[in-house]
Amino acid sequence: MSRASSLRLYITSRILLAPIMVWLATTIVFLLIQAAPGDVVDVKLGPNAPAALKESMRIQMGLDQPMYIQYFRYINQLLHFDLGSSTFTQGQPITQVIGEFFPATVELTVCGMMIAALVGLTVGSLAASRPNTPIDTGSRLFGIVTYALPMYWFGMILQLVFAVKLGWFPQGTRFPIDQLAPTGPTGLYVLDSLLHLNLAQFFTSVYYLALPSLTLGLLISGVFERIVRVNLRQTLKSDYVEAARARGISEFRILTAHALKNAMIPVITILGLTFAAMLGGAVLTEVTFDWPGLGNRLYIAISQRDADMVQGLMVFFATIVVVVSILIDVLNAYVDPRIRY
Amino acid sequence: MMVSLTRLSRRGFLVRIGQYAGLFALCLTLAVSCRGEGGSQPAADLGTGDRVSMGTTLSAGSLDPADAYETFPGILLYNLGDRLYTYTPGTTDLVPQLATELPTISEDGITYTIPLRDDVTLHDGTPFTAEVMAFSMQRFIENGGRPADLLSSKVAEVSAASPTELVIKLKAPVASFTSLLTFSGITPVSPEAYEIGAGNFKPSVFIGSGPYKLSEYSSSVIRLDANENYWGEQPANDGIDIQIFTSAANLYNSFVSGGLDVAYQTLDPDQISKLETDAPGNNWTVIEAGATVVDYLSLNQKIAPFDNLDARKAVAAMVDRPLIVERAFKDQADPSYSLIPTSFSDVSEPVFEEAYGDGNYDEAKKYLTAAGFSESNPMAFEVWYPSSSTPRSIAAQTIKQSIEQNLPGLVNVTVNTAESATLFGNIADGVYPSVMLNWYADYFDPENFVQPFLSCENGSEATLCEAGESQSSGSFYYSDKANQLVAEQNAESDPDKRNAIFKQLQELMAADVPYIPLWQVKDYVFTTSAVSAVDIQPNQQLLLWKIEKAS
Repeated sequence: MSRASSLRLYITSRILLAPIMVWLATTIVFLLIQAAPGDVVDVKLGPNAPAALKESMRIQMGLDQPMYIQYFRYINQLLHFDLGSSTFTQGQPITQVIGEFFPATVELTVCGMMIAALVGLTVGSLAASRPNTPIDTGSRLFGIVTYALPMYWFGMILQLVFAVKLGWFPQGTRFPIDQLAPTGPTGLYVLDSLLHLNLAQFFTSVYYLALPSLTLGLLISGVFERIVRVNLRQTLKSDYVEAARARGISEFRILTAHALKNAMIPVITILGLTFAAMLGGAVLTEVTFDWPGLGNRLYIAISQRDADMVQGLMVFFATIVVVVSILIDVLNAYVDPRIRY
Repeated sequence: MMVSLTRLSRRGFLVRIGQYAGLFALCLTLAVSCRGEGGSQPAADLGTGDRVSMGTTLSAGSLDPADAYETFPGILLYNLGDRLYTYTPGTTDLVPQLATELPTISEDGITYTIPLRDDVTLHDGTPFTAEVMAFSMQRFIENGGRPADLLSSKVAEVSAASPTELVIKLKAPVASFTSLLTFSGITPVSPEAYEIGAGNFKPSVFIGSGPYKLSEYSSSVIRLDANENYWGEQPANDGIDIQIFTSAANLYNSFVSGGLDVAYQTLDPDQISKLETDAPGNNWTVIEAGATVVDYLSLNQKIAPFDNLDARKAVAAMVDRPLIVERAFKDQADPSYSLIPTSFSDVSEPVFEEAYGDGNYDEAKKYLTAAGFSESNPMAFEVWYPSSSTPRSIAAQTIKQSIEQNLPGLVNVTVNTAESATLFGNIADGVYPSVMLNWYADYFDPENFVQPFLSCENGSEATLCEAGESQSSGSFYYSDKANQLVAEQNAESDPDKRNAIFKQLQELMAADVPYIPLWQVKDYVFTTSAVSAVDIQPNQQLLLWKIEKAS
């Protein structure tokens, strides 16, 4: 079988597996929500509502049916791309909530990933190219510390120092409450303000985005730094790198043009999975900075005991992770001919 | 040669890294330096004039008047809508708002006839009439939202006798009914925008008659715009922009870093202390008010040890409220000796202070002995509280430590916590021997602090409460006398006689100890020098339309 055919087969099999993975995730989420304490009708009508009204609401919502019927009804609803509606806000469609909050999560995640990639790759490359030097030791320390730091604590400290004490950055949120936020087709403030050529809005958006994305990026960069360092170091010892050195190619060129590319395959995997996980709600970062993204919305839904919202968002997150992981598998298979399927 | 090449390339590499870092720093510096400075160079102002920015951690799940039942939606509805009656700002004097006079009450106390204003228009242009008010009240009852019981348990019929006359017939006399009509949810809404039907709610819109219109509603931001066509006093500001924070720390940090004009509920005691200390140096104003929120311990009479009156009295004597207030609230609360808050100064009696005192361990020992407890048979005192409350956690631990230190071997205190939904679901099932809870009043009347605790529709003194208010409160208290007194105060129109009944009810509570009042928290609002005229009303409302913003 040719490589192209093999790759096609692999991609097809991965795509066919996707619905099964989403179904599994959906089933687990459904069962967990069912097992959670509390009553959806109580959330909707309050615990002191008349029993008759509660009962009629239970029938109306189908909660009087056996669990397997509720499950099949939910799956049928999902098959029609209907994630349901919020219990707590009495009927707000979850797709509308996703449309409202997801752009903020995307914006934070993309910026955080850019910072993480920049810092992680730079520090990791520096360390790999200077083994057993103070730079190497420092980068290892950086990797361990950023990996070990709790997001909630680190975010709070950064806010306290840079927002409250020094006043260099704003405190939390995505845009000043007393100003009109950029509107546009993407929902990404930075992009929308540029599309409208509104530089004031652009700089304000970046200003508000800076601290949360720096925090997120720095904390994730440790993971990248360690993977880059280990892989790059391994690659720099390989025969073709020695051969390149013998040909007089500069160390910088060896690093950037040859070694780094080959060391990137595991980094892409980790990068992609981290990206997917963060798109599925960088909950702690968003809550710490009051960033109005889906992670924050999930946190609010949990605290409000909004079971339908939690369920809908979890299914959305699971779908994102499944889709992105398939994309990564395909990308890896495409760029690395050694991968067999 | 190789060595020199490597050195050169390393230098070049470092230069590149430096360039990248420089570029990144430049972008960041540009963003920081080119941003709109505070509110002075905004990217795009929301209005031309004076809007007030306010932060809170309270959530507003629904703004549908027929369903909103939490503190914050109540405040928003109070500012978005009007009611038939309200209070003169700063007082507890009932005055007509959409009504033109106080109601005419029939001799039997059943029929309320209310004359209405004819110059009011709702936000969508619908004229306000008695039909609109009757529709709104009917919807409040029939849609079956969380506060529906406030009216459905009392009102038999609402009708419009004419466009300017509303007639309400009650099921039985309710002396506090006019006060009940000040409840934030009993407000006119547009029949064009709302429907009557069980469970039919509109949580994210509000079309009523008040001084503000709702312009944006989400879980993180709520915006109110001044209603230019308001029939009454125009708001002193152009609008209110409310940021809802997920944590007290973020609210605190936002306020101290100048991101907000007003910080309102809920900050931790440490943060409140710090703001109070720092206020003079920062030109902040601290507004402190006694709240009508009462925290108490509910004792379940259906299970041991609190099926024994002496055991309940022993706990009432052991509790040291000043110590709790000092440790858990840094004195930002007041000890409470009656379930009727001290803001009802002519009614509230410190009955528990008089009967049991605070940390009265000698008295507690006597009650414990009478209840059959000794060092060989210590009383097991199990305290539960909702896990979301940090001050209650400290309070529970303070109770445990103070009792075990002062009554060693006589009482074993166990402190337990459960997630709020689970805990509240279990209370009426009688799972917990004792629970620390709090009570937010629906309307400003002492009845609202008595009836939900002491009355019970179904039960007997032998079987205790089987279905009713005291079951929901977790005590399962049943007393024919309490039921009779609650009914009497409802039928009593003479304020002095009614107050005398409330005193009897408080004495009954101290004698039977179904609940132990613990503390009353104080309410705080912090403002910057940019705003003025911020005040917490005696009924705990924040009148947003009064807030002035310095231009």
